Amino acid sequence: MKKIPKRIWTAAALCLFAAAVCVYLGVTFSSMWKDQPIYPGPGVTEIQMLSDYNPGLKGTHGDTEVYVLDSGKPGAAVLVLGGTHPNEPSGVVAAVALIENCQPKTGVLYVIPRANHSAFTCTDPQEGAPMFFTIATPGGDRTFRFGSRATNPIDQWPDSDVYVHRTSGQTLSGSETRNLNRAYPGSNSGTFTERVTYGITELVKQKDVKITVDLHEASPEYTTVNAIVAHQDAIELASWASMDMQMEGMNISIEASPTNLHGLSHRELGDFTDTLATLMETANPSQGRLRGRTNADLVVKGVDKYYVRARKAGSVTVEFTEAGIPIDERVARHICGIEQLCKAYNELGNEQTIELDGLPSYQEILTNGIGYYLSPGK
Amino acid sequence: MLFLKYVYLAIVALLLALILTNMFKKDKFLYQLDAALVIIPLILRLLLIK
Repeated sequence: MKKIPKRIWTAAALCLFAAAVCVYLGVTFSSMWKDQPIYPGPGVTEIQMLSDYNPGLKGTHGDTEVYVLDSGKPGAAVLVLGGTHPNEPSGVVAAVALIENCQPKTGVLYVIPRANHSAFTCTDPQEGAPMFFTIATPGGDRTFRFGSRATNPIDQWPDSDVYVHRTSGQTLSGSETRNLNRAYPGSNSGTFTERVTYGITELVKQKDVKITVDLHEASPEYTTVNAIVAHQDAIELASWASMDMQMEGMNISIEASPTNLHGLSHRELGDFTDTLATLMETANPSQGRLRGRTNADLVVKGVDKYYVRARKAGSVTVEFTEAGIPIDERVARHICGIEQLCKAYNELGNEQTIELDGLPSYQEILTNGIGYYLSPGK
Repeated sequence: MLFLKYVYLAIVALLLALILTNMFKKDKFLYQLDAALVIIPLILRLLLIK
């Protein structure tokens, strides 16, 4: 019998080693696809899927839950989007807080807490971002995923060198190809990301959504923070809401949606549907370029000595003290903003109204922390 | 773009096959170990895990 050379044995052993590592890593990476639980509150009447509006998403990582909070009384429909960019966590937490607390008295509230579901399964390369963060609730810690700005490359790859926006022909960097907020109004035959935005656009059209609020965060040094960005049709609504927010003690500005910057929710949903399209931004130091150590503490507490220094040097326009900008404050801004946009819509004399009940006020969230208003889980 | 994705996966599969073949041909253990480390991300990519 011919003797098997030693190199074959060592190669076979190394193959087994590589296979074992792949199994271990496969299980670890696959666990990232498991969604963190959301506990529907008393206001939730139905949980739909985005594939109900774009069947092409069924069975893909782009399909995501649409929570319906129907008052049962006639009124306006409102859509809230969290997790368009899963590395902007206050939008996700605010959307979850709505699902677990809000009880509309008139109209219907639709909440998509994980708008770019795929982007929750990875983090951005070279950012050193944490994969999870926790918020303390009265019944224990609640864990949330911290994700990526863009769709997971597993679902959409490769990126083109130049991203050409489908309906306008606008060109952007190829890295924006997987950015949900550059892919509106979407297409049911387009890229993975465009199919997700097509589903959202269809929801807005089919449910005759009157107000859309897309929840975001940005680096503290970015000029558009603590702001409501509004399509030209929604400027009056945003102005009314901002005045009420200022009366509650918040600095908030209004930014007009640029007419020549395409693919964003506040531009395309406003142009292609009848909704009043708005987007809210808060200042998130864990996204900033000037930040120090990046970890879950920075995401939740928002304390960063380098931003304090930058503020003192005049490099950051947003107020940044040693107390930081905690997620409690950022979520409080979002929740208060949604409530005030709905109130403004009613005050502007629209026939259909939307009245939201059960939401904590800005001051209550600052006092008790957002964890107080989240379900402790099971 | 979907077409390009499959081209990319085909390239990954080809590269994986070539490295595996080479791994069994090399006498030096360090070369084989190098190859074993390189095939891990390729397998994960091919299976669309990472």
